[in-house]
Amino acid sequence: MLFSSIITKPDGFIEPKGETAINAFIHIHFDKCTGCRICQLACSMALTGGYNPRRSRLAIHPKTEHLYHLPVVCSQCENAYCMQVCPVGAITQSRDGIVSIDTETCVGCGLCGKYCPVDMVHLDPDTKKAVKCELCQGKPACVAACPSEALEWVTPAATAPAAEKENFHE
Amino acid sequence: MNNAYAGRFLFIDLTHRKIRTQPVPDTLKDLYIGGKGFGASLLAESVPPGTDPLSPDNVLMFMTGPLTGTAAPAMRGCVVFKSPLTHLFSDSYFGGSFSHEIKYAGYDGIIISGRADTPVYLWIDDDHVEIRDAARLWGRDILETGARIKSAIKDDTVKTAVIGPAGEHQVPFALIGCEFNRQAGRAGGGAVMGSKNLKAVAVRGTRLVRVHDPRGFVRACETALAELAASPDIQTLTQGGTAASVEFANETGLLPSLNYQYGTFEKAAALGDQGQGTHLWLGTNACMGCPIGCARIGAVRTGKYKGFVSDIVEYESAALMGSNLGITDVRAVAHLVKLCDRLGLDTMSCGSIIGFAMESAQKGLIPSPAGIDLDFGNVAAAQYLIDAMGHRKEGLGDLLSKGVKAAALEIGGRAEEIAQHTKGLETPAWGPRGVSGMGLAYMTADRGGCHQRGFTVPHELAGQWNGKKIDPLSPEGKAGMVIALQNYSAGTDTLVKCDFGTFGISAATYADLLSSATGRQSAPDIFDQVGERIWNLTRRFNLAHGMDPAQDTLPRRFVQEPLPDGPARGHKISEADMAVMRSAYYAGRGWASSGIPEPDTLKRLEIDP
Repeated sequence: MLFSSIITKPDGFIEPKGETAINAFIHIHFDKCTGCRICQLACSMALTGGYNPRRSRLAIHPKTEHLYHLPVVCSQCENAYCMQVCPVGAITQSRDGIVSIDTETCVGCGLCGKYCPVDMVHLDPDTKKAVKCELCQGKPACVAACPSEALEWVTPAATAPAAEKENFHE
Repeated sequence: MNNAYAGRFLFIDLTHRKIRTQPVPDTLKDLYIGGKGFGASLLAESVPPGTDPLSPDNVLMFMTGPLTGTAAPAMRGCVVFKSPLTHLFSDSYFGGSFSHEIKYAGYDGIIISGRADTPVYLWIDDDHVEIRDAARLWGRDILETGARIKSAIKDDTVKTAVIGPAGEHQVPFALIGCEFNRQAGRAGGGAVMGSKNLKAVAVRGTRLVRVHDPRGFVRACETALAELAASPDIQTLTQGGTAASVEFANETGLLPSLNYQYGTFEKAAALGDQGQGTHLWLGTNACMGCPIGCARIGAVRTGKYKGFVSDIVEYESAALMGSNLGITDVRAVAHLVKLCDRLGLDTMSCGSIIGFAMESAQKGLIPSPAGIDLDFGNVAAAQYLIDAMGHRKEGLGDLLSKGVKAAALEIGGRAEEIAQHTKGLETPAWGPRGVSGMGLAYMTADRGGCHQRGFTVPHELAGQWNGKKIDPLSPEGKAGMVIALQNYSAGTDTLVKCDFGTFGISAATYADLLSSATGRQSAPDIFDQVGERIWNLTRRFNLAHGMDPAQDTLPRRFVQEPLPDGPARGHKISEADMAVMRSAYYAGRGWASSGIPEPDTLKRLEIDP
């Protein structure tokens, strides 16, 4: 069984473990998604301190009477429209590729959400500031919680050819 | 303080079109926790004896539990009402995501009374509650109605509970479709909804469900997940769902075959996980927050009925619409189940009634309708009857749509001898002649013949209960087991748990989940205690509403006809067996020998006299 390893994080505690997400990403296997939304529950708990999939930073789109479930996560776009349209420069991309929002700077205009084609940026109903997935500092709660391996955390180290890895270690 | 409860009920009076909320009293939480407990308590308070279940005076309640909407694995919701099929207390459970959405909208339950003067549906968008016209939805099937509502609201993430034509026609075993492939199936909640002119309830909730102690709660969730992962029963469910039970029931002689005349079926493998794996399944479909994923989803892509999406044909449907009707092609069974799902008919009651009709025709008690051979194995006949019952068509459709008990009474003669039901609820797909305790569970279940209020089968076949040996065929030693299972089931139905979760998650972990979520310290035995309280409350409700304890009995076939096949061949549950189990059960419950709870029992359980 796969779900013995599930880890969900309580009340907003994201603990960086030194494994920064250097151009890592979440790869989606829609064929394995059961639509259970445990990923969204883990996400909303980690980032808001409560449970509601609508308040999570990823989505599951059921199709065809639930024959398919299509998870959607933020792509951390290189050419991020959300970042480009932000009128106050609150959205930036770090060297490791994560597109993040500075809530102090954000004025809550919502343009970022309006121009995201996959609806991955929202205004938080409580703070009225824009929020999006910032990959939990390299330890995404959704990936850890998924019981069916539909969400996979892919890191450069994992995808690099073996020879390249050896060179790297040398 | 965060305590996982929403803290309020939503009351909707459709007659006067009045909407109000009311705080959930602390005493209700203390005594009844949530879900089934809330429903049982409120039903007893608000529906007086003599109430016609299809009158505006009945109430229909969608109830959640304190753990609904959280990450506690495998939580559901329930609908509570006075049943038009049994005229007794009834609770019907549903998975999916509808109950979670009620919680996210900020309610522990929705309580609907009265009757709208024209067809309506409810649109609940957090605090905004609206009674909307449903004239253009009336007459449409469940899938179409759900789609149209989402389209009208312009949001396909809205969650719906919908009735089909069967509910509109107040067929007493009409169900409520709660999003795709999930139903509050049993005992006619759909008919009560139809009697209120209520086509659907649509909900969108954006609130957070916050628990009292997040760290403790997440730890308890991890324990629950580990317990599930370690359970072989759960592994079986994840792999083949309840379809795997078809062959198990066949091997043990408990599979209903040809209206329960037999306990085995030659083509069982074709109806179970083998047949479904070949012809239907493509992937896994889980209810919200459930890591088990007992449902396999797919499509019928070949054969006469090809071209539709089918969820797993779960055990009860595979048996009652398959072996019980002598149908061997699982694609045909899936087709019949889908018709029921669209029309809004309970597949269990339907399968039982069609089996009854086929045997009745065979015995010359009813004529076959023109052009239809009402024979076992005839898919076209089953399809004809489903359509005729769902639309309450004149003649056989109308007659059978009254339920097997009422139909048999009306047909008269020997029809009653072949009608399988207890207190009007059609018998589930676990023939009890090889497991006497299951018979006692049917005899005494609060909502009539139901397998989910105390499922003894695995314990009896293992020959053990609480470390003591038991003989599956003997009436001895069954009462204590049935009482314990009923209490625990009713107690955990307050959360509202899925039965399958209990195969892995322990009472201690459920108590930890409850304590950390609500901040109310709960010991593992709280579920036995609250369950016993609920069981006595529903018993009192049923007695007040005209139930005669003489109805604590089994259909004649299980009592008079020895099982002709399978390992328990030659066995029946005799009148004497029933008497032994019944009196031990009444005594164990603290009830008089007449089946009525003793005043001391009610007092001990803090039930007002």
